[in-house]
Parts: sequence; C-alpha cells; structure tokens
Amino acid sequence: MRAVRWRKVFRDLVGHRFRTVLVVLSIATGIFAVGVVMGGRAILTREFDAEFATSQPKNAAYFTMPFDDQIVRRAAEYPGISAAQGRHSAGYRYTWSGSDAPRSLSVVAYKDYANITVERIVPEEVLSWPPHRGEIVLERAALQTGDYKIGDVLAVETRSGKTENLTVTGFAHDINAFPAQFVGGETGYVSFDTLPDIGAQESFNELLVSMKGANLTLREASLLAASLQRDVLEDSGVAVLGVNVPKPGSHFLGDIFKAVSLLLLALGLLSMLLSGFLVVNTVSALISQQIKQIGIMKAIGGRASQVTWMYLGMVAVYGVLAVILGVPAAQFAGKLFIEYAAGILNFRISSYAVPGWVTALEVVVGLIVPLLAAVVPIRLGTRTSVVRALTNTGVNSAKFGHGLVDRALGLLRGLPRPVALSLRNTFLRKGRLLMTLATLSLASGVVMSVFCVQASIEQSVDDLDAWWRYDAQIRYEQPVDRIGAERVAAGTSGVSAVESWIGAAAVLDRPDGTKNETLNILGMPYDTTFVGPKLLAGRWLEAGDKDAIVVNTDARKAEPSLDVGQRVSLEIGGETSTWHVVGVVTGQLSGPVIYADREVLGSFIGDQSVTQTLLKTETSDPLMQRAALDRAEARLDEGGYRVVGARTQAELRDSIANELGILVWFLWVMAVLLASVGIIGLTGTMSINVIESTREIGVMRAIGAQHISIYQIFITEGLTVGFMSWAIGAAIAYPMSTGLTSLLSGAIGIPLSYRFSWSGVVTWLGVIAVISFAASLAPAFRASQVSVRDAISYE
Amino acid sequence: MSETATPDSVDSTLLRLRGVVKTYDSGDVPFTALKGIDLDVHTGEFVGIIGKSGSGKTTLINMITGIDHPTAGEIVIDGTPVHRLGENDLARWRGRTIGVVFQFFQLLPTLTVLENILLPMDFCHMWLPRERVERAMHLLEQVELADQAYKLPAALSGGQQQRAAIARALANDPPILAADEPTGNLDSKTADAVFGLFERLVEQHKTIIMVTHDNDMAKRVRRALHVTDGEITEERVYRPRHGA
Ligand SMILES: Nc1ncnc2c1ncn2[C@@H]1O[C@H](COP(=O)(O)OP(=O)(O)OP(=O)(O)O)[C@@H](O)[C@H]1O
Ligand SMILES: [Mg+2]
Repeated sequence: MRAVRWRKVFRDLVGHRFRTVLVVLSIATGIFAVGVVMGGRAILTREFDAEFATSQPKNAAYFTMPFDDQIVRRAAEYPGISAAQGRHSAGYRYTWSGSDAPRSLSVVAYKDYANITVERIVPEEVLSWPPHRGEIVLERAALQTGDYKIGDVLAVETRSGKTENLTVTGFAHDINAFPAQFVGGETGYVSFDTLPDIGAQESFNELLVSMKGANLTLREASLLAASLQRDVLEDSGVAVLGVNVPKPGSHFLGDIFKAVSLLLLALGLLSMLLSGFLVVNTVSALISQQIKQIGIMKAIGGRASQVTWMYLGMVAVYGVLAVILGVPAAQFAGKLFIEYAAGILNFRISSYAVPGWVTALEVVVGLIVPLLAAVVPIRLGTRTSVVRALTNTGVNSAKFGHGLVDRALGLLRGLPRPVALSLRNTFLRKGRLLMTLATLSLASGVVMSVFCVQASIEQSVDDLDAWWRYDAQIRYEQPVDRIGAERVAAGTSGVSAVESWIGAAAVLDRPDGTKNETLNILGMPYDTTFVGPKLLAGRWLEAGDKDAIVVNTDARKAEPSLDVGQRVSLEIGGETSTWHVVGVVTGQLSGPVIYADREVLGSFIGDQSVTQTLLKTETSDPLMQRAALDRAEARLDEGGYRVVGARTQAELRDSIANELGILVWFLWVMAVLLASVGIIGLTGTMSINVIESTREIGVMRAIGAQHISIYQIFITEGLTVGFMSWAIGAAIAYPMSTGLTSLLSGAIGIPLSYRFSWSGVVTWLGVIAVISFAASLAPAFRASQVSVRDAISYE
Repeated sequence: MSETATPDSVDSTLLRLRGVVKTYDSGDVPFTALKGIDLDVHTGEFVGIIGKSGSGKTTLINMITGIDHPTAGEIVIDGTPVHRLGENDLARWRGRTIGVVFQFFQLLPTLTVLENILLPMDFCHMWLPRERVERAMHLLEQVELADQAYKLPAALSGGQQQRAAIARALANDPPILAADEPTGNLDSKTADAVFGLFERLVEQHKTIIMVTHDNDMAKRVRRALHVTDGEITEERVYRPRHGA
C-alpha cells in the first residue's frame, strides 16, 4: 500500500472496526441467504432429479389378481415398453416394541432383488441384501416415524390370523415409496419365500412398467397403458383391479417439491433485494459520515474520480471480506439445510457440490451488488462541492420543519424530551429510515404471511373435520356382508354409530377414447350423517337418484369432464355404465373421489357387499377413539371379517398436516432468514445513527444527560422503526399471504382455504418489540459510552 | 466599490479578480455576500483580509481558492481562468497552485502527520514516490514538527496541528498559500509562531493571502484589505518589516 490514499482507506477500515464488521455482516447475510437458498434449491433439484431418474420411474402400475413371470416377459416385450417389473405387495398390520398401537406395514416382495428394472431400490444399511426368509428390510423413511433398529422384531398379523415374526435386517431407500411419515405406515421388503409365511401366495399382484420415449405425454402413457392392459393382462385372463398412470417424469412429491422450490426462489430474490438495501444504506451513511474528509481531500488537490475510487476500493474490501465469510458459511448451512430437506422428502444426496453459478451468484451479491449499490451514494458524496462538504453538519437541518411528518411530530408535545428528540432523529434521516423500514417491513410482511399460510393450512385441515362426521374407518380385505359386519361393529363398547360404504375403483372413459387413472367411487346412503358435504355447485345425492354422482374438486381438476350436468362413462368392476354428475363438493386433501348412493352403486356392481365400515365413537379423545377402533377391529376379526386397514380420522388428519407441514417448515426457514436480514439492517442503521450523532450525544452529556436518557433516545428510535415496520408489514401480509396461499395450493394441486392469522400479527408485534429493543441495545450502549471529549474531537 | 489599482506593472500580477459577485440562494431570500470585488495580488505579496464577522471574508477567500464558485465575475490566477474550471480540473489545479489552510486545521484523523503531508503529493502525482517522504520531512522540519511526524493528529496540540496543516498546504510547493483565520483557534503565542512561519515563507517568494480577525496580525502584513458588507472598503499598505 504505497499510495497514501490507500493507506487512509486501510486505516478507516481497521480504525472503524465496528462499522467494518457491521457492513461486512450485512453483505455476508445477503450472500448467506442467497447461497443457502439458491444453492439449496439447485442441489436439491439436481439430486432429486438424478436419483429419481436412476430409479427408473414407472409410467404405469397395474394392481391385479395373481400372475407370473410369463406375463412380465410379455409386458417387457410389448411395443413401446422399455421395462416391466412384477412384484407382490400387500398391506398388513403389525406390532412392534417401539409403538403401543398396531401399525400398518406395506410389504413388498421381489423375486430377484438383483435385477429390479422399474422403481429401483438402494440398500443403505443392511446385514444381508436381498433379505432372507423371515427377514425384512425397511424403507428408511421408517426412521422418521420410529426408532427402528437392526434386530428389531415386527410381529406381523398374517391372513390366517396367526402372528409371524419378521426381523429387521436393514434399511433401504426407495425414492418411489410413500414416505412413512405421510402415510402413517411403513414399507418393508421381504424375499419371495417369506410370502407363504405371512399367508400370501408366491406370485405377483403388481405390474410396473416404464415406457420408451423421453417426452412422453400423459395422454400417450394412458393410451399405451390401456392397450397393454388389454393385450397382455386381460388377454391372459389376469383381472386388473386398478391402474395408476402418473404424469410421466413426475414424482408423487413433485408438486410439493415444486412448491418448495418456488418458495426458495422467491426467498432468494427477496434476500438479494434486502441485502442490496442494506448495502445502499450503510454506504450512504458511510459517505455522509466522511463528507467533510472528502471535502478536505478535494481542497488539497484530490480529484473527484480519485476520491471515488478510494471509497469504491473500501466497498470492494468489505465485499471481499463478506465473500470470504459468507461463502463458506452458506456452504455449511446449506449442507445442513439440504440434509434436513432431503430427509423430509426422503431422497438421497450423493453430492453436495455447489454448482458454479451459485458460487458466482454469491460473489456477485457480495462484490458486484455492493459496488453498484455504492456507486450512487459515493458519486453524490464526491461530487458535493468543497464548500458544501466542509460546512456539512451531518444532517440537513435546514429542511427540518417543513415536511408533513415533521409537522405531525410537532404535535406530539406531551412526549418526554429525550423521546421527542429521538423521534426527531428518526425522521431526520429520512432516506435511511425509508431503507430500514422497507427492509424490516418486507421481513415483517413475510413473517406474518407465513403465520397466515400456516393458519390457512390449519383451516384446510379443520375443514376436513367438518367433512368427516365419523371418527374411524375400517377397511376389509374382501367385500363383506353389511348387516352382519355392522352388527358386530356396533356392539363394540365406545362405538356410538356405524355406517358402511361400498368403495370401488372406477375408470373414466374419456371422450377422446383414452382412459384415466383410477378414481375412487364411494357408495354411501344418500342421506348419510357421516359426512358433511360442502357443495360448490349443483346438489348432493337425493332419494330416488338413479344415476347421480357427486364429484369432489380434486376429481374435477383431474378430469375436467366431471362437471355438473355432464354424463360420463365409468368402468367399474369391468362393467361400463353411464352416470350423471349432479354436484361438486370440496376435496378432502386426499385425491379425486366420486360419490354415489350405496344402493345405486351396489346394483350397478351387482353386489351389495361393503368394503368399509365407519365408526362414530362416544369420545373426542384421539387415544380413546383409537382404543375403541382396536376393540371393534378385534371383534370383527373374531367374527371372521378380515380387516386390512383401520385408522382414526385424527391419525389421518395428522399425516395430512404432516405433509403440508413440510411447506410450512420451508416457509419458516424463509421467514427466519429474512427476519435476520431485517434485524441486522436495523442494528446497522441504529449504529450508524449513533456514530453520526456522536457530537450531539457528547453535547447532551456535557449539559448533563444521564445514561438512561441516552438509552431512552436510541431505544425509542429502534422501537419506533420496529412498530412502523410491523404496521406496514401487517398491511402487506394480507395480499402477500393470499397470493402465497393460492400459489401453494396451485403448486400442490390441493385447494386450500384461506385464513388471516390475527394471532400471528399479535405474536409478531411482541417479537418485533423484543427484536427492535435488542437491536437498539448495543448501539445505545455504545452511545452511552461516548464521552464529552470523544464527541468534541470527533471528525 | 473601491478600485484597487496597483502601481506595479500588469505582468507581475499573480491573481486577478474582476467584478466578483457571490449570491447565496440557500436561505429564504437570496443573500449577496460579495458585491463585485476587484483585486490584484502580485507575486510575493503578503495580503491580509480583515473585517467584521459576516462581512464576506471567508466567501472571498473561497472564491480565490476555487473552493466555491462566483455567481458572476472573473478570477484569473497565474494565467488560469479559475471561474471557468470544472470541479475536477479545479481540484488538480488547486493541488498544485494553492495551498489551503483552514481555521480548524482539518487534518485527516486516520493518517499520521507525515501521511497527511504526503497525501496532496499522492493526489497530484508530484515528485517520485521515494522523494516524497524526504520532502515531507523537510517541510516538517521547517515547521519544527519533525519529531511529531509519526503521530496521529489527535495527539498534537492545536498549534502543532495548524503547523502540520501549513506543511501540508506547502506539500506540492504551490506559489500561493490561502489561509482562513489560521490563528483563530490558537493562543497569542502560538499564533505568533504561525505568523512568523508565514513571514519566512513570504521571504521565500510565496504569495500569501490570509483572513484574520486579529488587528495586531493585520498590522504585520504588508497589505491589508478591509471588507465590509461584501465590498473592499479600505486598503492599507504597510512598509515591509525587513525593508524593500
Ligand atoms: N451558505 C450560505 N448560505 C447563505 N448565506 C451565507 C452562506 N455562507 C455565508 N453566508 C452569509 O454570507 C455572509 C458572509 O459570510 P462569510 O462566511 O464570508 O463571513 P466572514 O466574514 O467569513 O465571517 P466570520 O468572520 O464570522 O467568519 C454572511 O452574512 C453569511 O451569513
Ligand atoms: Mg469566516
């Protein structure tokens, strides 16, 4: 550093350590937020896509009566099919030392684990792979619901009513399995020869196929799936119970993932904006603080360009320091964030390598943005004429007394002197106040919006309760006689009412000749008291309906032909019949459903047997409901009614809330990051104000101001900014959160109800009071340390 | 308005002001602080500007140093039409032509005394970098501050700071030194020392223009201009102390 002017830059950086730290922190926060968010988003997307693609996702799944290798081979050779995989899959209930209540287990068996061609499974931590007879390897999402250990024994209830013990011998990862925490049941892999032990046949009952073609459309996939079903399965006499044709290339969590990724993008852009604000703020303050020195330098021969470069150099040093600090910090936190997110979404991260463009973006945010943000204030400062610079008093006191705000403040006569003084200070530095307010208001708006989105999600889940007027549901392995089963269930202690429904898979014959993936059709008494339908259009089922169906919004969204007044063709149990859509009700967060009268549906199928029984209980306590359900299940078992699924609505509600909770979790990450940027901004502004008011403070000390008055001044100022940003934030939270809610509901494909969170607004008021108090404490302390001597010698 | 005709030939005129008017617009009503100043200063002159507070002394010296622009009129210094220069050219020109000394010293607080003196050389690219320190030390010896070279300004007394500021004003060896109340903040003994320094500089053929309140000081300058309400109302020429 030979040139003296650069020595001055260096001394200023070192001499004003507090300021340097503050500015570097502000910039580093921006880098951090952008790095974590954009990097996290890029890595999550990259790894998710990579893992999903290597898993060889299915294009269609058929749920069928038993079939053998012959069929799989024929399917694999079918034109347009790239791979076919047969497997056995069935639902069981099991008990385990880690859980009091029995849990659900989805058992999947492959004949040859070494050659899985569709939906590949990756063993992660296993004693033996593939599993031996009597062993089970759990899908690792199980670890999110319970503390499973290798060597644990799962007591599985077999079809014949016996209990078979399976030993956990490891954990595998299947990106295509529904994560345990969302479905309330674990998935486990067993060998084929274990199947007879648990009362199942050694045969396939699921056929998964993947299709050729990189840009397959859903329509193409549906058409191919339909012809394969006809030519291979049905041709060989294999009855198909259900078909699932997902949108090609999309994962079942894809929508949630898309929503998360969208949120992250929004957050990244916001944090970039906010950190830009912070930089403009601090640099303008820096310049206004140095304006006299700039005047002196120009008076002794410094050209504006030379002085400009000095300050740009200074900002560049801040930027470099921030990059050195922010980039590794972002990488570290980003890794934690990704690990956690990947855990929730159940996929593996094989590389944490940060993409080059993210690092480049971080450097841009750390170096280029501050330099660009600094150019204007620096140019303004260095262009100030020498007289103006030399006579500058720090604040433009001449203008005070003219503005509207100032006049309003003049009305606040009754305030204690230091409070009035600090309010005057707050408004004196209007530019800085505006920047700080903007930053903190945006952060407040986001935080309160997150509260509102959370409230909306809760509202949507609450709406489920309004729909479900029953407490528990029992599903049978085979359709059962309604009267008998209901008599057994109704006799259970704690159960107050029962009703049974017919559930079936329905395939919609689309007008264009394609078939859709399976919809569920439920037959219930038209005058049921077990659900409380919320009608959006048309009417509910009525007595005397012959071919009436009501669809939910999810069904209408999936199949636009399902709308009020439409006549549609449904294939149920192999028979095609025509139905008339009479109403649309709100969805229940669990996919497309069609409702029909039980008797009507029964006579269409030609069988009045029911597939599920619903219970109302005498209690509202979820645990007591669970107990009543367990008793009912035991009685049904005894009576020979084989139960495959039993769950309380409270449990279902929790698992849905869990799934939506992921979104809320990401939203909170977003809110906390933004709030931190806001807090650093406020602290920075307050500190700059202290530095700038050093002389003023010294003078006040000289005329006898106590510590307490000085604290009062700065804390009042901080609180004022805090409260103002709270008020502005609350005002923007409404449009922001309605937008966010509809964005989310669009992304996850589930209509969410909206609820404004007043409690969130009140909570944030408390939090922001504490935050602004804390943010002004350190600056206020520094102010109280100013001595009269410092103030007078201060330049 | 007073004409200040000088007996000397036009050629030796270093500094010439013609009809300089300065009107401030920043107040509620425009205020004319200089009402048409005409002034010629010759090389080697020691000029004192005296007048009551608010009479326009600072305004006048700011016109000469180019720190502020005149509303009307011409200022030609050493052949350069100062009133036509832009901020940038002005800064460069000023750095080499006029050393400015302020009432409140105005040393940069984070640079040592020596570095403060090196700064103008750095800005104006004067001398080779290795010659600079030597020259700065020489200047500090002249103002008797060589032993304070590595201290920060805050550690110096007021008189020492002002002498350091004078050394800085001389850094680029400008022909003219302009000082606005350089002794205004000093006790009479220290002020006397600073004044002595100026007198020695005049002997070295520097031209000095100094604003002062102090009537005693005013009597020691060779030429004293009285400013009243923005006009030069009186001019006194004293016999040089050391003879012609
Ligand atoms: N920026 C300004 N805006 C408006 N009026 C100004 C400004 N600067 C100076 N003045 C006015 O111009 C007049 C001359 O001011 P100047 O500073 O030149 O006086 P001065 O003779 O140097 O006084 P002092 O001896 O007190 O330093 C004063 O009446 C002052 O009020
Ligand atoms: Mg003055």
